[in-house]
Amino acid sequence: MKRALKIAGYTWAVTCIVAVLATFIGNNYFNAKLASATGITISPWFSGGEIVGSIDHGTYKTVIRRPVFDGLIGERKEGFIQIEWQPVTVLPPVIEDRIDFTGDGKEDFAFRLDTTAGTGALTPRNPSVIAIQTLVKVNQGWVARIQLRKVS
Amino acid sequence: MMKEHPPQEKTVEVRQSAGKSFLFALPMMLLTLMMMLGGRIPSDPQQLFVFAVTYLFFNVLFFLMLHTGKTDRYRAIAFITFSLLFVVSFVSHMFEARGSMSLSHEKIILCEVPFCHLVIPMTLIPAAFTKTIIFPGMITGGFASIASMFVIWIGASLSMGRGWCSWGCFFGGLDDAFSRILKKPLLRKINPRWTYLPWAVLLAIVLTAAAFLSPTYCTWLCPFKTVTEFQAVTSFKILVQTIIFVSLFIALVIVLPLLTKRRIQCSLFCPFGPMQALTNRINVFDVRIDPDICTNCKRCVKACPTLSITEESVRAGRTLMSCMKCGTCVDVCPSGAAAFHVRGTPVEENRNMKRLLFLYVAFLFLATFSAGMIQDGLSRIIRLITTGSMI
Amino acid sequence: MQGFVLGLSSGAVCAAYCAPVLVPYLLGEGRSVLQNFSALLQFLLGRLLGYLSFAVFAWGIHTSLPQDIVHRNLLIGAAYVILSGLLIFYSFFKAGRACPSAGGQGIDHWLRDSRPSLFLLSMGLATGLNFCPPFLLAVATAAEQASLLQSVLFFLTFFLGTSVFLIPAPFLGLLRGFYALHVIGKMAAGLIGAYYLFIGATMLAGGFFR
Repeated sequence: MKRALKIAGYTWAVTCIVAVLATFIGNNYFNAKLASATGITISPWFSGGEIVGSIDHGTYKTVIRRPVFDGLIGERKEGFIQIEWQPVTVLPPVIEDRIDFTGDGKEDFAFRLDTTAGTGALTPRNPSVIAIQTLVKVNQGWVARIQLRKVS
Repeated sequence: MMKEHPPQEKTVEVRQSAGKSFLFALPMMLLTLMMMLGGRIPSDPQQLFVFAVTYLFFNVLFFLMLHTGKTDRYRAIAFITFSLLFVVSFVSHMFEARGSMSLSHEKIILCEVPFCHLVIPMTLIPAAFTKTIIFPGMITGGFASIASMFVIWIGASLSMGRGWCSWGCFFGGLDDAFSRILKKPLLRKINPRWTYLPWAVLLAIVLTAAAFLSPTYCTWLCPFKTVTEFQAVTSFKILVQTIIFVSLFIALVIVLPLLTKRRIQCSLFCPFGPMQALTNRINVFDVRIDPDICTNCKRCVKACPTLSITEESVRAGRTLMSCMKCGTCVDVCPSGAAAFHVRGTPVEENRNMKRLLFLYVAFLFLATFSAGMIQDGLSRIIRLITTGSMI
Repeated sequence: MQGFVLGLSSGAVCAAYCAPVLVPYLLGEGRSVLQNFSALLQFLLGRLLGYLSFAVFAWGIHTSLPQDIVHRNLLIGAAYVILSGLLIFYSFFKAGRACPSAGGQGIDHWLRDSRPSLFLLSMGLATGLNFCPPFLLAVATAAEQASLLQSVLFFLTFFLGTSVFLIPAPFLGLLRGFYALHVIGKMAAGLIGAYYLFIGATMLAGGFFR
C-alpha cells in the first residue's frame, strides 16, 4: 500500500510537468473547447443583450437589443435597453428615432441624438422607460443604454 | 517530539556540484527554449537579443537554484522581474492603444477589458446560475481572454495549487519586492487573526457579486488597478472607488510590506489566495517539516513572508493552508527539516528529487507564463533608452 | 394568495440581496442550526416590520412614493447607510470582536449583555427597507388596495413568500465547529458593511448605483 502510494505520488508529480506544458501549448485549443462546451457568454449587463431588431435608415442603421432585467435567479425590477446607431456610410448630424421594444406597435420612447455634440434627449412614452443611463461613442457609431423599470 | 538542542549543520544536503546541476538543468533549458520560441525564431535582431537575454536569465537562475540549494532567493529575482516588466509592458500597451491608463466606457461597452485571475472567484456562482460571465471581457480571442485565463488558472491549480501565488501571479512580485527592501522589519508583531481577512474578503466579494451581478472586487477594492488600468473618474462613485484602490495599493503593496517584511497584500488581503488554498487540496506538492530533524529553532516561523508557519504547525510537521511554496522556510532551515514534499511519499525520503520535481513544475510555469511579458517589457525599456519613448 | 405567489416568484432575488447580510452574521455568531432558526425569525420579524410599516404608509398616501427616482434613491441610500452601520458595528463591537484592532469596551458590553434581538431586528428592518425590486412591485400593488387590512394582508403574504428562500440559511450552523468561520463571518460583515456604506453614500450624494 505504501509503495503504491509512493508510485502514485511520484507519477502525479511528473504529470504536473505535463500539465504545465499542456496548459500553454494547448491553450488555444482548451480555451475554445471550454467556451463551446460550457456555452458561456458575457452577462447581458455588460454585453447589452442579444440583438432583437434593427431599423435600416439607408446611410445608417438603428440596432435594438432586448431589454435586460436578468437577475441571479429570475428577473430584477430594474434594467436597461441598449440601442445602437451604426453608420452604413455616415451618421447624420442629428438622428431622431422612435423605438418600440415591447413589440405592441406603440412607441415606447423617442430618442434624439446629436452625433456632432454627442448629446442625447429621451422622451419616454412608456412608464417603464426612465432615463438615459449611458451614451457612448463606440467606433464610428453611438450606443445608448436607457434605464427601464418593470411596472405591474 | 521535537529535539531541543543547538542548531547544527544542515543534515540534508540540497546543493549540488556544478556538473550535476548543469545536467539536471539541461531538460529545463530545452523545455524553456521550446516554450519560449513557440516554433518561431525571432528574425528581428532586437527581438533576438531580448529573447536571448530572457532565456539566459531564466536558465542561469534555475542553474543557481540547483547549484546553491537556495530556492527563494532566485525565485524572487524571477518573480519580481516578472511583475515589474509586466507593469511596464501593460501600461505601455495602454498608452499605445488609448493614450492613457484609464479604461474608457467604449472599451467596457465593447467588452474588450482584459480579464485577470482575480475576477475568477466572483464569476463562479453567477456562471453556475446564469451561464454568463459578469465581466466586460472577451470569452475567446484577443489579449487576456476569459477562457484563456480560466485554462491557465486550471493548469496552475492542478500543477502548483497555491504555488501560483509565488510562481505565477504577475502582481505578487510587487509586494514581494517591497517586503525585501529593509534588512529588518520595523513592525514585528502581526496579530494572527489578520490571516482570516482574505477569507472574509473572498466571502464578501462572492456574495455581493452574486447579489448584484457585478465584479465587486474589481470595481471597489483591487489595489492593482493602480499599475494597470482603471475607470476614468467621471462621477462621485468612481472618485470614491479610485481613492480606495490607490490607498489600498499604497498601504498593502508598498508601506506595510516594507515595514513588516511580509507579503501583506498577498497573505492578508487578496481573495484569490484562499481560493487557491482550496484548490491546493488536490495538488500533489506541499512543504513538510521532518520532526526527527527539526531542532525547534523557529527560524522558519520568523522568516515565513506569509505567516504560514506557526509553532503549532511546526509540531504537526506542516505549514498552514496559506503556504505559497516560495521556499523561504526551506532556505532558512539550518537542519534541512523543512523541505518540498510529494504527497503519498515518506517525508524523509528522496528530498532532493522531490525538490527537483517541484522546481521543474513551478519554474517551468513561471518561465513560460512570464517570458512573453518580460521580453516585451525589455523591448520597451530598450526603446526608451534608444528613442526616449516606450511607445 | 396573489401576494404569496408574488413573494414566491421573486423570493430568490430577495434571498440574493439578503445573503450578503445574513450569511456573514450567521457564520460570525457560530450558533447551532436551531439557534440560527431563532436568529432568522428575529431577522425576518425586522423585515416584516419594515414591510408592514410601508404597507400602512403606501395605503395611507394611495401612491407609490418609492417610484419617484430622487426620493427613492434618498430612501434606499439612507437604508444602506443604516445597514452598513449595523454591519460594521457588528463586526467591530458585537460579542467576540472580529477585528484585531477594535476598541470600545463600554458599547461592546452594553450590546453583549442585552438586546441581541434588537440588533437582529434592526438588521432585518434595514434590509427590508432597502427596496429590493419585488418589494417595489408589492408597494405599488398595496397602494392600490381598497382597505388598510387588505394592504397589510397583501404585504404579509408577500413577505411569507419571499422568506421561503431564506430557510436554508440557518443550516450554516452545521459549520459552527470551525472557529475560523466565526472570525471570517464577522470580518465579512464589516467588509459588506463598508460596501453598503459606499453605495449608500453615493446614492445620498445623488449618483445612481449602476
